[in-house]
Amino acid sequence: MQLPPQLILLFLLIILRFECLGKAQEELIYFEKEIRPIFKAACFHCHGEDNVKKGDLDLRLVRLMIEGGKSGSALHPEKADQSLLWENISTDKMPKGEKKLSTGQKEKIFKWIEQGAKTVRPEPANVEEAQYTQEELNHWAFQPLKRTKPPTEENNPIDSFIIAKLQSHGLNISEPAQRESLIRRISYDLTGLPPTPEQIENFIRGGDEAYDRLVEELLISPQYGVRWARHWLDVAGFAETEGAGLQDAKRPHAWRYRDYVINSFNANKPINQFIIEQLAGDELINGPIDKSNPKHLEFLSATGFLRMAPDTTQRNNTLADRNNAISETLKIVSRSLLGLTIGCAQCHDHKYDPISIDDYYRFRAIFDPAFPLNQWQTPNSRLIDITNQEVMAERAKIESEAKAMEDDMISRRNAHCKKIQELKLETVPEEERDATREAVLTKPENRNEKQKALLLKHPMVKPVDFIVGLLVEYDGKAFAKFKEEQKKIDAVRDKKPPLGLIRATIESKNSQPVSRIFFRGNPESPKEVVKPSEIMALKQHRKDLVVPENDEQLKTTGRRLNYAKQLTDGSHPMVARVFVNRIWMHHFGNGIVRNKGDFGIAGEKPIHQDLLDWLADDFVMHGWDLKRLHKLIVSSKTYKQSSIRRPGIEKIDPDNHLFGRSNMKRLEAESIRDSLLMVSGKLDPSIRGPSIPVTENNEGKPVLSNENGRRSIFVQVQRRLPLNILATFDQPVMTPNCNKRTNTTVATQALWFMNDNESLKMSETLATSIMAESTDLTKQLNQLFIKLFAQKPTPEELRSCMDYLRTQSERLAKQKAEKNSDHLAMASLCQALFASNRFLFVD
Amino acid sequence: MDFRYISRRHWLRKSSFSLGSVAFPWLLGQDGLLAENEKTVPLKPELNPTSHDLSPKTPPENPKARAMISMYMLGGPSQIDLFDPKPELARLNGQQFQGHLKFDNAAQASREIMGPGWKFSRHGQCGMEISELLPHLGTIVDEITLIRSMRTSSNNHVPSNFALTTGKPVHGRPVLGSWLLKALGSETQDLPAYVALTDPRGLPQEGSENWSQGKLPAIYQGTVVRPTDPRIFNLNAAPHLKGIPQQAQLDFLEKFNRMHLQKHPNETELEARLASYGLAARMQEAAKEAFDISGEPAAIKAMYGIDNKRTSDYGTRCLIARRLVERGVRFVQIFCAGQNWDHHGSIKTSLPDRCGEIDQPATALIKDLKQRGLLDSTIVHWGGEMGRLPVIQFRNGLSDRNAVGRDHNTYGFSQWVAGGGFRKGYTHGLTDEFSHHAIDGVVNHYDWLATILHLFGLNHKELKFRSGPRDIRLVEESHARIVHELLS
Repeated sequence: MQLPPQLILLFLLIILRFECLGKAQEELIYFEKEIRPIFKAACFHCHGEDNVKKGDLDLRLVRLMIEGGKSGSALHPEKADQSLLWENISTDKMPKGEKKLSTGQKEKIFKWIEQGAKTVRPEPANVEEAQYTQEELNHWAFQPLKRTKPPTEENNPIDSFIIAKLQSHGLNISEPAQRESLIRRISYDLTGLPPTPEQIENFIRGGDEAYDRLVEELLISPQYGVRWARHWLDVAGFAETEGAGLQDAKRPHAWRYRDYVINSFNANKPINQFIIEQLAGDELINGPIDKSNPKHLEFLSATGFLRMAPDTTQRNNTLADRNNAISETLKIVSRSLLGLTIGCAQCHDHKYDPISIDDYYRFRAIFDPAFPLNQWQTPNSRLIDITNQEVMAERAKIESEAKAMEDDMISRRNAHCKKIQELKLETVPEEERDATREAVLTKPENRNEKQKALLLKHPMVKPVDFIVGLLVEYDGKAFAKFKEEQKKIDAVRDKKPPLGLIRATIESKNSQPVSRIFFRGNPESPKEVVKPSEIMALKQHRKDLVVPENDEQLKTTGRRLNYAKQLTDGSHPMVARVFVNRIWMHHFGNGIVRNKGDFGIAGEKPIHQDLLDWLADDFVMHGWDLKRLHKLIVSSKTYKQSSIRRPGIEKIDPDNHLFGRSNMKRLEAESIRDSLLMVSGKLDPSIRGPSIPVTENNEGKPVLSNENGRRSIFVQVQRRLPLNILATFDQPVMTPNCNKRTNTTVATQALWFMNDNESLKMSETLATSIMAESTDLTKQLNQLFIKLFAQKPTPEELRSCMDYLRTQSERLAKQKAEKNSDHLAMASLCQALFASNRFLFVD
Repeated sequence: MDFRYISRRHWLRKSSFSLGSVAFPWLLGQDGLLAENEKTVPLKPELNPTSHDLSPKTPPENPKARAMISMYMLGGPSQIDLFDPKPELARLNGQQFQGHLKFDNAAQASREIMGPGWKFSRHGQCGMEISELLPHLGTIVDEITLIRSMRTSSNNHVPSNFALTTGKPVHGRPVLGSWLLKALGSETQDLPAYVALTDPRGLPQEGSENWSQGKLPAIYQGTVVRPTDPRIFNLNAAPHLKGIPQQAQLDFLEKFNRMHLQKHPNETELEARLASYGLAARMQEAAKEAFDISGEPAAIKAMYGIDNKRTSDYGTRCLIARRLVERGVRFVQIFCAGQNWDHHGSIKTSLPDRCGEIDQPATALIKDLKQRGLLDSTIVHWGGEMGRLPVIQFRNGLSDRNAVGRDHNTYGFSQWVAGGGFRKGYTHGLTDEFSHHAIDGVVNHYDWLATILHLFGLNHKELKFRSGPRDIRLVEESHARIVHELLS
């Protein structure tokens, strides 16, 4: 049976009316709050946006709906059954296409009409002013920082916020963590490395001041910068290859940006300055680059931040490729600094956040002079040579040395090949020999027919150049000899000090492209001209702020510099919040705002917004001083809590939104490798310079090209060929960056610990050093446990280890007698402990 | 044909008008539980069971299938050129398309109809029509069900992919394979129960999200192996540890980890890692054996096209998939690189290239499973996350008629399945005369997933997992239906 649509509609209305009557005290539905978001996602595309108004109907304002279009009024408040809008929606005539409104949405729309199609406030006269609603613009994260007072008189304001909120839920914070847990936690958090036995000794013996002293010590360690630079490099998308497909060309100079970041953290550079330098270091120079001025080099290196996104234009340089490089760069900028994903507004208005396509291209216009689509510079042509005179002279000297060796080798090789040619000529019958010799010595283009025929007849007779090229076939031994010589010459050349090149961002007054909106994101469809500006929703409380198109004070346009200063002047709603949240996340395992740091409308409203605002405000008020922020956080009771899940709190808050305990954290890939190096005594703590190359070994495993104890941050980051241990333990591939890492637990990680050559080697090295320190087994095991777990073994653990060592030694002796089985047993114990959760997790 | 009636009936059936029964993700985000009321504690349910394992579990209903191999053709193979012949379209070639079209890339869009570029002919006893680009598939049509009426309606790759594999067009949800592991455990305790085989040319679009367990416990995650030998590194124990000493070492480690776990109750990640060592130990032998195809007879290798450069890689991976299923692996996905079936331009060359790589191996997989008696209990799936439009997309402007292709179409596309309880020699569903919209026997992504679960003896309404405040399900749509017409 097929019911006529009118009848169905009637049924519906009856049901709905009935329901409405049943709830006399029903809450009012407002257009801006509940209805407009539905229409924005489903209807505006055809009825309002981009000047498209099908059937002359604009659904962006209620009065326009009442006004209606070609088919007459679309909305009759309080009378859904007389509203064309409702008829079309309820019968799924609208929206067109496959995706219809859900039952819940229809129900809302119906009730809204029946209640009189209420708006929160009078609607603007000009519909374009209704591009965003107050509701969208009122999203918490777009508001200025609220200067709140901590709710109670706790010593540390963080504790005040956290404890108050827990107590309002009838909960309290956890007991302090054991000191052994705490020292591992603080050491890994601040340096990414385990504490040394000396640090442990001092800490366990000392009182409360010992903790503060340790924090000081860790914060001034150069390893602090390595640790926190790694976090920022994730966000910046640091990579040393250009990305995209199989090519993945190298970026041999990207490391200068990495060193810049490490040095900045170690120097505790104020974060506002850090941001300005990365966005506009070149504009800070404001004039010719002085190669001898270290500040200039620092500023230029900082702008590597804008050069980290995948950029394939060295190879494929179409408009689309260029556009892609820009778009990926803007993704990094917006995710890292603004906590927003704006990429989708490249093609259409953002579906959730009040970011229009116009906003996107205005924002992009800030960066256009540095990335002019039509005066594009490929990655290599952007490199800035900062090599100094001495280095140039040294390079020239080495080159002339190599050249001399090479010339000598070449002349001997040619002579040798000449001899070979003569030998081959001797195989030619005497009557043709001289003619053939003459033929082969004649340039190919000058040979006559007879000569050509002769050479075809005697194919082994070839010009000297040809023989040089095929020497491996003519005379394998000689070939090997000359190849060996060539290697030596190459080795001499390799000694040249590298050119100082910086992968930087610069612009000139000559590159001031006119910025336009690209229709549906297509660079081949430029539309309206736009002027540079911050995203409107983010400057709604600072309307006077403008990004000048061309700052007369500067040699460049000054757009990026002016924008960077606006971002960091303390009044921006996002920058400080986003940054502080990130620091919090690295200390606690989760941000105050979660969801991979999405501060937009689709993200989660934080339970602890007051705390976040207080922290951000405090951070700004105290000069964007990061080390001060660390101290504030790590000195809180909240930070020092135990991580044990308590039954009571588990029932209410298993995901720990309220921070009523610490989170267990697995060591990041880099920390795993660095810790193994450190405890086995192989760590090279030096902190700068070009990256250690990664290559495939004969098994295809990506390994370091030479054994190296540098920390993992100095391992070359190739998007397609990440170092095996790092990739195995979830180091992210930068596409284009990573806001929050994910942890996996897979058998390949277990296999790495069990069987990888590196794991075996480091275990053996550790065993050797442990056994060298003492002959007493108890002392050895004490030492081992302190190194790995920051505490001595319990008697039970001691007994268990000793039993294991004894029996394992016997087994190993049976298996293989070559090496000392006691040593191998100790190594296998070290290996098992490396692989243990107790080592891999910080609790 | 008027769809409004269908969808309306559909809608009425499910309209109980319970508040908030269906909501868009952004609505959830806006008034989700956390923002609702500062004073209310986020009401969290009791914890999920505190331990999770991969021991084999009996499904509630009698299963037809115990394993699945998915040959996933990300990018969207053109159904018009491969599976869904439209003589009318050939006739209208070059004319303007009159109906409504939704383009992904408007800038290069046109309304010029492009008829199928290749010939179709009937095959097998069932007479199924298949394109000349897939000659091998033509030889096994009597084993397969061809579905011509797939639909997700999410018109881009990522959402459509996730709709088909996780049930919703959004990031972060558990994939089908993870749900199968959760519900059924693993028949092998020596190999990863869920294996992803990737293309040597690169990871599939969205990388590891394609085998991510989402909010399910970590042990249900898929294991991606290397695209070339050795598929898994570090399978060889050091000579001095091999065998008993390593076992003793792992026993010690397990004891040590258990003591640690006791002090940290309810940390599922610790448990998962503990379990991973047992699996790793057994994998040393089992995985080496399973991934080593050198012992396969020459005739088998030839059947998969391993002796031919063009088909060698895909053939090898198909053969490995068979070996894994034979050894009790529950779910195997064979991926292509990126989304290399996304033929917006150069469809004339790229589509034959792709087909040439996979046709023979995919066919061999069916034949081989059949001759081993494995096909009846193994679902084999071949398909992408979308199909393509009946009109030309001009990649390089109107003048370049070589660089042409077809834009996305998720409203009606084709895929084929075999084994595990699917019908044989059956063609299901219908698209409109332009192969744009599925109009009859529509199989939505949720219907598809519900059907797969059914074949595994699982009820899509019951299969759920408590995550935070609510249950998550692979199939969230209450109106999802098991497509019984597809089943034997």
